[in-house]
Amino acid sequence: MGVFDGIKVLELGAGAAGPVATRYFADHGATVVRIESSRRPDFLRILFLTPDNPFGVNGSPMFVLMNPNKKSVAIDMSKPEGVEVARRLIDWADVVSENFSPKAMAKWGLDYESLRKRKPDLLMVSSCLFGQTGPQRMYPGFGGQGSALSGFNQMAGWPDREAVGPHATITDSLSPRYVAFLIAAALLHRRRTGEGQYIDVSQIETGVYSLSEMMVRFAATGELMERRGNRDERGVPHGVYPCRGDDRWIAIAIFSDPEWRLLRRAMGNPAFSEDPRFNSADGRRAHEDELDEQLGRWTRERDPHELAEAFQAAGIEAGPVQNYDDLLADPQLAHRGHFETLHHPHLGEMQFENYAIRLSDASPRLEAPGPDLGEHTDEVLCDLLGFDRSEVQRLVEEEVLV
Amino acid sequence: MLAGVRVLDLSDETAWLAGKILAETGADVVKVERPGGDPGRTGPYLGGVDDPERSLRWLALNTSKRGVSLDWRTAKGGALLRRLAESADVLIESAAPGTLDELGVGWETLHQENPRLVFCSVTPFGRTGPRAGWRAHDLVVVAMGGNASMTGDADRPPVRCTMPTATLHAGPEAAAGIGMALWARETTGRGQLVDVSLHEIQLSTLVTGPGQHAHSPRDRKRSGAVMGRTREIWRAKDGWISYGLRGGPARVANLVATVELMHESGMAPEWLRSYDWSGYNHNTLSSEEIARFEAAFGAFFATKTRRDLYEQALDRRIMLAPCNDAREISEQPQLRSRELFTTVEYPELGTAFEHPDFFAKNTGPRIGIRSRAPRIGEHNAEVYGELGVGGADLEALAAEGVI
Repeated sequence: MGVFDGIKVLELGAGAAGPVATRYFADHGATVVRIESSRRPDFLRILFLTPDNPFGVNGSPMFVLMNPNKKSVAIDMSKPEGVEVARRLIDWADVVSENFSPKAMAKWGLDYESLRKRKPDLLMVSSCLFGQTGPQRMYPGFGGQGSALSGFNQMAGWPDREAVGPHATITDSLSPRYVAFLIAAALLHRRRTGEGQYIDVSQIETGVYSLSEMMVRFAATGELMERRGNRDERGVPHGVYPCRGDDRWIAIAIFSDPEWRLLRRAMGNPAFSEDPRFNSADGRRAHEDELDEQLGRWTRERDPHELAEAFQAAGIEAGPVQNYDDLLADPQLAHRGHFETLHHPHLGEMQFENYAIRLSDASPRLEAPGPDLGEHTDEVLCDLLGFDRSEVQRLVEEEVLV
Repeated sequence: MLAGVRVLDLSDETAWLAGKILAETGADVVKVERPGGDPGRTGPYLGGVDDPERSLRWLALNTSKRGVSLDWRTAKGGALLRRLAESADVLIESAAPGTLDELGVGWETLHQENPRLVFCSVTPFGRTGPRAGWRAHDLVVVAMGGNASMTGDADRPPVRCTMPTATLHAGPEAAAGIGMALWARETTGRGQLVDVSLHEIQLSTLVTGPGQHAHSPRDRKRSGAVMGRTREIWRAKDGWISYGLRGGPARVANLVATVELMHESGMAPEWLRSYDWSGYNHNTLSSEEIARFEAAFGAFFATKTRRDLYEQALDRRIMLAPCNDAREISEQPQLRSRELFTTVEYPELGTAFEHPDFFAKNTGPRIGIRSRAPRIGEHNAEVYGELGVGGADLEALAAEGVI
């Protein structure tokens, strides 16, 4: 039995932040319907629109992998009849989740204030970059913005080089966790009180809130945190060291003198490690460049996976830097069933991913790859909304359902 | 939203954020820490005074919770924890797998005594499996979870974000898992175990990268501030900005607007001013052309502050964003207009400062920071009093070092 069996979610929007959030529900039994249109496809559908991809908007691996278990209804929202179909879907839904810029929903008359008149217990979440209010709400969004504005970009990289930012746009993975939580909390609230609600989430603000420690340290002391490579204010040595092979590395994090002694022993007490300057954290900190250099010289000829196994067995925090091939073969991820193979009609076998939550009474279910655009228009309109097939046919012919 | 939900938060800093989120959306969260204070109450300290009540990390991540002290490793402490858990809806913990079981206060026991309890474990690799016993905080899970391999300069080791990110993904992920289990309980009447892995969480930061790689393998490597072929992060006069030379019809107007801005400062070379943007595609530029563009744009950005550039960008719809530090974030008009920050008073410490408030704006019940983080054992009398343990009993427990 799925946690969200019977829950109906309607999704409008594109990209990652919105669609990643609704998967928490789709993977656990909810019916999640996306409104999309071939007139303005989700940009993740066209990211891979290259001549060697004959499947067009239905051939984007990123879109397909990000949107499993969802149903796609094609609606041209620029047509009044299209908006009317969307309203019928909103009537059907328990939850509406959208991540357009603030003007889209209002333009269609589908903003919360208009919709609540029709459906007083509506539960609706908007999660665009800047939020629904404020002077910058209409500013055009792009990928790097969330990560840059909320403070992450300038904190990754080397102090003597330019900031590089953590890989990918962190707000795209961070904000959906909050959106999913808020939807679940609002469902609980509605069950107890009968009240729906509107929730306005800014992706940037989810980043700043998550960085409460950084913000409070600044507010209380004026401290401005800067990128420090892999160094840490509490651990030393604390870094990523070269290993045998092409671009192979091991991460090692030592937080106390006893842990340092464990590391020394696990390495077999090489001469450099016996240097008394390294006995205390203060000493290791004062000579950290030299320590990193020596440690790297020692790890250089060793295999990162084997070395991590040995270090962890000795009680030391260490792990290989894993590339994508390593992740696909990772035994712990395999134990958790992280990857599951599903067959996609155009792209073939694909490795889909489960999220990081395992519930003891309800496993996540990966049942269908991300849908073709409009794949479920008939099914959703006829079976869920009760449209006549002829009516759907007419709307397709009149290019409303496209 | 979560009014009436009672949460016991036994976690260390790995999952402090999870309890904070629940507390700021209405739950009654009791932070349980060992006598003397949670080991995570480390520096930096307010005013530089080495005192667990002044740990800024603690103060930042435990707002809106009540706090009790309890040594659940002792027999009496364990018994008291079990009594607290009998009336709780949720328990959050982040001890190494098996630790609480050995003390007789693990999932099996507490679930038996209170079948409605939702029990959330946040651990480095999950509660079971070949790596369940592996130790990790931030760097090791970021390394093993794939993000580090893609972050950093090609000629140097992979890097992480200096401010640890593993736990700040874990907070809302655990909260989402708890929300799911609470929803399930509405129909089943039973609580369940929510097993969250810091390592597995990291994979979602790759936004389907591993699956794309499995489908079409190619060399995927970190490339510093360059994304694809062109630069994504640039030097400004006082820091860094994010800006892309990527083209396509939707973005050309923004490139043209940038050149116009450069021209007004006398910094647009003649060739750039007369450049024919029709058909511009960054993917088909030669390396020499990219270098020429980057030199011109880069020279201009380096003469302007992040704020100057951002204000111009907002006016002209140029797609540029400053790589903000905490000061810039705290001064952003957009965030100010949405009242993201709230001042928290610390009368005992003689100070007050701003925290980011819980960010969501809703039409339902009020959400947001309710109180400063608790002092050690601040609510002992109140919380243990609710169990009927008071007066002399509490003094005896205190004398024995249980609370």
